[in-house]
Amino acid sequence: MKRAFLIVFLILAGSSAWLYWTQPDRVEKIPVLYWTTQDDPTKRETIALFKSWLQDHKLPPVDLRIDNVNQDPTKKLAQGLAGVGSDLFDIYTFQTELFASSGMLMDVTDKAQELGFGPEATYPAVRSDMVIDGRQYGFPRNAGGTICWISRDTFARYGIPEPTFRWSWDDFERIGRAFVTAANPPGTRQRAYFMQAAPRPIQVLRRGLGLSDFNETMTRCILDDPRNAEVMRRLYRWTVELHLFPTLAEENAMSADAGRAGDAIFYNFAKGRYATLYLPRWALIRIRPLGIRNLRAIEPFNSGFSNMEFACGVISVYAGTKHPVEAVRFLQYLTSDRFNDLIARCGDSLPPVPRFLHTEAFLHPPDHPEEWTVEESFLKLDPVLGIAYCRSPFVFLGTVYRIENEVYDSLLAGRVSPEDSGRMEADRVNAEIALNVQADAALRRKYEAMLQVQQRIDRLRAEGRKVPAAWITNPFDLVYYRTKGWLEEEPRP
Amino acid sequence: MSSQSRVRRTVIGLLFLLPNILGFVAFIMVPLVMSLGMSFTDWDILRNNIFRHEPLHFIGAGNYLRLLHSAQFWQYLANTFFLMLGLPFAMAGSLGAALLLTQAGRARHRIKPALVLAGLVLAGSGFVLLRCGMAAGGVWFIFGVLAAGTLLVGVLTGGTLYRTLFYLPNFTAGVATFVLWKKLYNPSTGPVNLALAPVLDGFSRWVRAAPGIFAYGLPLLCAGLILLVAGWHFRRLRRQWDGSELGLMGLITGTIAMVGPFGLMLSWFGLGSGPATAVAGGIGVLFAGFTARRSRNWGRVKTLDKGLGAEVVLGLVLVPVLLLLGGGLVLGPTLPAAAATGIAPPDWLGDYYWAKPALMMMMLWAAIGSNNMILYLAGLSNIPPELYEAADMDGASAAQRFWHITWPQLAPVTFFICIMSVISGLQGGFEMARAMTLGGPAGSTTTLSYYIFTEGFETGRLGYASAVAWALFALVFALSLFNFRYGSRHVDD
Repeated sequence: MKRAFLIVFLILAGSSAWLYWTQPDRVEKIPVLYWTTQDDPTKRETIALFKSWLQDHKLPPVDLRIDNVNQDPTKKLAQGLAGVGSDLFDIYTFQTELFASSGMLMDVTDKAQELGFGPEATYPAVRSDMVIDGRQYGFPRNAGGTICWISRDTFARYGIPEPTFRWSWDDFERIGRAFVTAANPPGTRQRAYFMQAAPRPIQVLRRGLGLSDFNETMTRCILDDPRNAEVMRRLYRWTVELHLFPTLAEENAMSADAGRAGDAIFYNFAKGRYATLYLPRWALIRIRPLGIRNLRAIEPFNSGFSNMEFACGVISVYAGTKHPVEAVRFLQYLTSDRFNDLIARCGDSLPPVPRFLHTEAFLHPPDHPEEWTVEESFLKLDPVLGIAYCRSPFVFLGTVYRIENEVYDSLLAGRVSPEDSGRMEADRVNAEIALNVQADAALRRKYEAMLQVQQRIDRLRAEGRKVPAAWITNPFDLVYYRTKGWLEEEPRP
Repeated sequence: MSSQSRVRRTVIGLLFLLPNILGFVAFIMVPLVMSLGMSFTDWDILRNNIFRHEPLHFIGAGNYLRLLHSAQFWQYLANTFFLMLGLPFAMAGSLGAALLLTQAGRARHRIKPALVLAGLVLAGSGFVLLRCGMAAGGVWFIFGVLAAGTLLVGVLTGGTLYRTLFYLPNFTAGVATFVLWKKLYNPSTGPVNLALAPVLDGFSRWVRAAPGIFAYGLPLLCAGLILLVAGWHFRRLRRQWDGSELGLMGLITGTIAMVGPFGLMLSWFGLGSGPATAVAGGIGVLFAGFTARRSRNWGRVKTLDKGLGAEVVLGLVLVPVLLLLGGGLVLGPTLPAAAATGIAPPDWLGDYYWAKPALMMMMLWAAIGSNNMILYLAGLSNIPPELYEAADMDGASAAQRFWHITWPQLAPVTFFICIMSVISGLQGGFEMARAMTLGGPAGSTTTLSYYIFTEGFETGRLGYASAVAWALFALVFALSLFNFRYGSRHVDD
């Protein structure tokens, strides 16, 4: 028994040593970096181009490998805070503040200025996705607004007139009802919907009425507003009563019917089970292989104020990386011609550097002449209407969206009225703000300062006077107030 | 044995134990003590980690007070308890399965009846297929073929196949079974709804043919049964009270088991939760007060808690039964209207009201063939055969044999299973919610364990998450104590 124990112990110890000494970092002669991202052809080409870019710039070679099994945000967080995060990782809209506030993202502000990938190198609307409290924590690998895609063949098949480039809520409802009636024969189970369930155009609808999730200084959630009740009433009507959108469960069922987990929405779009899609430009990656050729891209439907959600996918460097120089070089490479050309060519949203929107590679991709009008729509819409997500520094966006999903589910289940749903969401988000502010002294100081600014804004608004632009941190309010002529340029108080 | 040799043996023994002890201390003991300490602090993973070293603050019972005031905590606790309502049925199912399996070994020589039964099942399913067509009857046909095949192979192998099939859920990876059930529950293509659809169609036709029976007859029947059960239960409580077999705590518990579901039923009828609680509470207080005032031989009462354990167990059976009858009472009048357009199978995981029962059914399936069944099988094999022989000689029926021999002899096993089931029921639900529903819709399937995860890793509040975990521990501990205090009496008897 003792001998067996000893043998097992020696085998385990030997295996551990073997594993340790054969780690890529020890075996390879060049630095090995890991990038937590989706493993797809675009990412593989990105890496190949990066290596050639390093070579062309006479920089030391680097081996960059994809880690696609740790993409879950909680995994990234847990691994990062345990000291074993990937050197580079993709960060999406809901995760930026969470990761940045934990300290696990490298502050690249100075390096970005030195190497030319500062905030000014990309779209103004996405700066808040990578700059927090004036410090830069990454650079976009793509960006873009969410627009409405129209399958012209589907509309033609049912003889439904297509929506115009700019359309209203009423247009959406009228055309949607006509489509759902025509595409679903009476007495049969509904198989065709006007638009997919997720992502919901809830931000666009609210903003169309001039309403944001937060007040001007992001100190309070203001969804207990009658305008939000109107939005929720519409969404309930369009989902539960008119079935223009499927519920999330119905959409999952449709995905299962299609038997295609990853691209079921696009498959159903190709089959005419969705007449329109509400997605950013990256949809092209999934649309192209399905052979959907007769497409249009139009503005999201709105009720007054034209707007569009605009966001980006950021790549950040892990603060605990062993290869900070090489990792930062990768961010610099994201501004290069060859990377931006790749994004323009492959359809993975918009290139991170705006000037590439005007290139032939973007506007007139030679292999896809059927997309030329679509690309022109992107050029026409994205830089003009795109507004970033409202991200309050006092509550994580992910928490806000979790609460919103719960409240929205309750609304669709008939458990809360549209009015109560707004109140419930505002109460819960504001309770989260109160908790965060109470727990963090630095945040509390900032909050109190912003509260004072908010009081001054409220006073000016009550008096019907203009508000200094520097007082407003809410990106939507900034654009909205400017459009309405309520803004005044003034030094920050 | 010399003292030197004794010391040597002790040292060697300790060396063998050392890996386990070290593992226990490092991975269980230390985190356990740390989490208890942290539950009294404002530990936030985002501010207190390897990159940020802000000081932790002792906040006393702040986290515990917060959870007591959190509506979400109570909702998720209620969800956890609701999902545990299936435990008595799961235990009964395990026992039933064990009893059947002990019989199966004796069925080897009953091939002819098995052949006849399998033939009948096959013929029946073939008839359904021919009558309803492939679309509607296909699933029933497959079920029939599977059932007949299982029956035949089971009889031929002397029950080995049955044992394997029953135990299958236990050695199949949890996530795999969750994915499987997700597909089974698919509202449009899942076998569950495909099998239910023709049944509900037929049922709808019945309802349309005789709406009065369902609109008035079913509610009347349910109301009658509720009254019958209530009358039996109240009469039993009074008799036991008069016979000094029931203490005050038992009386109160028994009363709550009756008036609790009654209050819920009132709220289903549209009486607000406040008035419904007041009416149900009033009835309970009246009954308990009136009963407690009745003369009894107080000298025979030793404890206030006499009969409490039995009342809790009975309550666990009574509550679901009453709720089912209440459901019939409420749904009956709505059936004719629903049947007019055909009753659709439920959207199991997407509907707020069906998601929990759907998970309960899945848990029941997994629990019937779990380790509990193995424990019952072992318990059954330990019952001395002389007891059954003596009962046979006395002319006892099968039911009498079960009730007077099998059930009492299995009491220690039942007690152990009860303890373990309650513990795993309170701690469970995380993997299921994560894989199948993400805690939705509207938080309806979020259990306390899932809440701990979201608080800990989505908002980063590990101090609060620790407090929830310790509150859960306190609950498990209290219920286990309760089980030991009141359940062990039956074991000792």
